[in-house]
Amino acid sequence: MMKWKIAGMMVAAVMLTGCFQDTVNTVENSEKNMQAQSVNVQNVSTDSFLKNRLKIVRVDKVTLPDGLLKVQVSAVNVRTGFFSEMWSWFTNDNPYSITYRFTWLDQNGMEVNTAASTWIPLTVVPGDTIRLSAVSPNSRCKDFVLSLRENN
Amino acid sequence: MKIATFLLIGGIAGTAMLMTGCGSDPVRIDPTGNQGLTTVDDINFKDWQIAAEKAVNSLLTSGELSRQDGRKTVVMVSVVKNSTTQHINTNILTDKIRQAILRSGKAVTTTAVGGNGPEDKASKQVRKLEDDEMFNQATVQKQGTAIAPDMSLAGEIIQQKTTLGRKTESYFFFHLTLTDLKTGLAVWEDNVEIAKQDKKPAIGW
Repeated sequence: MMKWKIAGMMVAAVMLTGCFQDTVNTVENSEKNMQAQSVNVQNVSTDSFLKNRLKIVRVDKVTLPDGLLKVQVSAVNVRTGFFSEMWSWFTNDNPYSITYRFTWLDQNGMEVNTAASTWIPLTVVPGDTIRLSAVSPNSRCKDFVLSLRENN
Repeated sequence: MKIATFLLIGGIAGTAMLMTGCGSDPVRIDPTGNQGLTTVDDINFKDWQIAAEKAVNSLLTSGELSRQDGRKTVVMVSVVKNSTTQHINTNILTDKIRQAILRSGKAVTTTAVGGNGPEDKASKQVRKLEDDEMFNQATVQKQGTAIAPDMSLAGEIIQQKTTLGRKTESYFFFHLTLTDLKTGLAVWEDNVEIAKQDKKPAIGW
């Protein structure tokens, strides 16, 4: 009887894994040639669910030739692994849907509204790295705030 | 039998009253948020915002608005062709891009000439005042002073619809170009793609 129970659970587990969405595998050159200019950031996280699913990997910036500032935030969906995927499938979190918004501040700390001052929805597959980028509306903008939240 | 009939009619009437009463008052939603309606066949307001955001980022990154001679590029908005099945106003997209161009400080836009005619006819109208004795001619704008555009923003919005069983899908392709009017060459081009899918229920509509 015990053997049948174990066999049944194994079959159920195998069937459940078939319901999980495939995660993303990546291949890249290990010796990087890029010379990125990273930015020191401070994270304020009020959503533990988002924090446990999306990990901010790096923040890079570049000043374009005409003085505009371009910022790129790299983040990865860390919900990989059997139990994480099973839980994400159970809670309908796979693929993970987020929404983000860039806010630009000028040299006086005043917000500068742009076409990008809107929440943009995005889907993040487990294991995938997303790069959220934006260009400052003008050369007076020196600082930015990236807001992230779950897109329910 | 009469009781059963009475109960049946009462049940139908009660259900009908409940259904007509289950509405809600209209509410304002955040136009920058994601609570807007999503429909497959239409370009919703969030789609316009996504297209504008990506187009603006791409255009500003390209650096094509900057000039070496110190003056600002003058950009006109030409025709953004609607190749969708919907009646849409492409100004929703071009206005956002034009505002972003102005805010960048690298270029200015002209309203005196456009693909669908001048955005503001006043530039031409005020010059007709040269023949009007009522106006102080020293204050009337003279012929030959308006600045002609250097570049033109144009594009096309294309929709492709697919239906498979109960699923329907719309693919929107926003294509924009920036053309150097002196040479006729495109100096910037980009696309924004938005795809939406819907599945009809097995029962109902």
